[in-house]
Amino acid sequence: MIERLMENAAQFLLLLVLSPLVTGVIRTLKARLQTRRGPGILQPYRDLRKLFSKGIVIPETASWIFTATPWVVFFSTILAGLMIPMVAAEAPLGLFGGVLAVIYLLGLGRFFLALSGMDSGSSFGGLGSSREMTISALAEPAMMLAIFTVAIGAGSTGLTEIAGAAIGQNWRFLAPSQMFAFAALSLVLIAETGRIPVDNPDTHLELTMIHEAMILEYSGPYLALLEWAASIKQLVLMTLLINCFWPFGLQPTWFGFGAVEGICWLLAKLLLLSCAIVLLETVNAKMRLFRVPEMLAVAFTLGSLALISTFLF
Amino acid sequence: MLMMPVLDLQFGERIVTLMAALVLVLQIAMVSQRWIVLHIRIFAVQSLFLAMIAATIAWYNHAPHIYIAAVLTLVVKVILVPILFERLVTRMEIHEEIEPIVNVPLSVLIAGGLTLVGYVVAESFYRPDAPGVGHNALAVAISLFLIGFFTMINRRKALTQVLALLSLENGLFLAAISLTYGMPLIVELGILFDVLVAAMVLGILVYRIRETFESMDVSRLRRLRG
Repeated sequence: MIERLMENAAQFLLLLVLSPLVTGVIRTLKARLQTRRGPGILQPYRDLRKLFSKGIVIPETASWIFTATPWVVFFSTILAGLMIPMVAAEAPLGLFGGVLAVIYLLGLGRFFLALSGMDSGSSFGGLGSSREMTISALAEPAMMLAIFTVAIGAGSTGLTEIAGAAIGQNWRFLAPSQMFAFAALSLVLIAETGRIPVDNPDTHLELTMIHEAMILEYSGPYLALLEWAASIKQLVLMTLLINCFWPFGLQPTWFGFGAVEGICWLLAKLLLLSCAIVLLETVNAKMRLFRVPEMLAVAFTLGSLALISTFLF
Repeated sequence: MLMMPVLDLQFGERIVTLMAALVLVLQIAMVSQRWIVLHIRIFAVQSLFLAMIAATIAWYNHAPHIYIAAVLTLVVKVILVPILFERLVTRMEIHEEIEPIVNVPLSVLIAGGLTLVGYVVAESFYRPDAPGVGHNALAVAISLFLIGFFTMINRRKALTQVLALLSLENGLFLAAISLTYGMPLIVELGILFDVLVAAMVLGILVYRIRETFESMDVSRLRRLRG
């Protein structure tokens, strides 16, 4: 019981501390690739500290949803993060729910975010909400199909079992079904974390923003919570991707020296994935909004091929 | 010295299956692609994977003549044809996007359906005791073939139709090497030079169509009748 609590606490801290770092590393790498100096990898922490010390402005038209949303988004994302294996193969909250719970906890956060976008009464908020819901409605089927493919391989939707099965079979990721699922999930990751071909996380240009449009009316600590939740969500999805398909270095438990090794592996894999994301963001221009369904149709087709090919091969 | 699993025939089969899957992913990416230069580059990468499949099969089955087919594929389809086409694109100053007849999401879904058809067809060729790379590579080959046909029908512009034809030919090549471990060398040579000549002739034809009709839209060729 105590051990489980400690595991939860450790992963909770890791999520809180690591997520701004991942955002910072991605930003810095991207700046370097564009021959800019960039703000340094610790900038997201400084941003959060600054935002937490500022005051809050709430729109006159806003209801309780506006003030509840940052908390709901933040804690549902944290809860989802506790359900995935990060360092140990066994997820701290593994008994509580499987991968479906993770996806729909993130869905709950998105639902509240979309509501609050409309609640603030600004036209940009509503615009952002409708775009976000369009994209997520298209991304979710592709994500589910890819996840089901992985779950069928493991015989369970529990992430602990999925990671365990992935550790057992060394060359499993060479199977075509896993390949298709990985490709589909990567495309969904780009759409869900608001990376460049779909959404630009660094801009407030009115025509193109999606996530930023929804949180445009937030300020101070609320904005900090939402920004933090966004980077935690990014970390959760990245970890989900790498630990479902490349479970190298996952430890049996959180305790002992194994944890240090596990964290090092996690950091190395995250860095590799961040490099891939940065490269993709730099060589691509942002897509027109009407082109996004095309990319997600590719993800959906790959997801269905993945699921079908698990039965064929 | 190489590690043991590298010499294992089953491991080789896995690598071939994996690369065949990548080829299929690239084919679907081609269906969804709107920029012609990217389209040409995806074709080059797809051909590169094909050459790697050929080399892998040659390595694991000790069939040196397939190496020649692999090298020829590399030279012709990965280097010569893409350079030829990219030059054509620069010379004709193509800037507009590819506009498929069926919209892109639906095209991609149709391509997925055609893959399924490919698998169903390949299943009937499959004999567990027969030698060969297995039904995966054959299924991918048949899918490439079907999707290539579909892309040809689905495009209006002559140049993209030629690209679809070439990816269809990639499917043929994959079927040949996966079923028989390579045809006689002289046949391979013939096919590859055929492709090169076809690409050049079609390139000139596309250029002429463009010069005469001031568009690559093949539906305008109907004007010849009246």
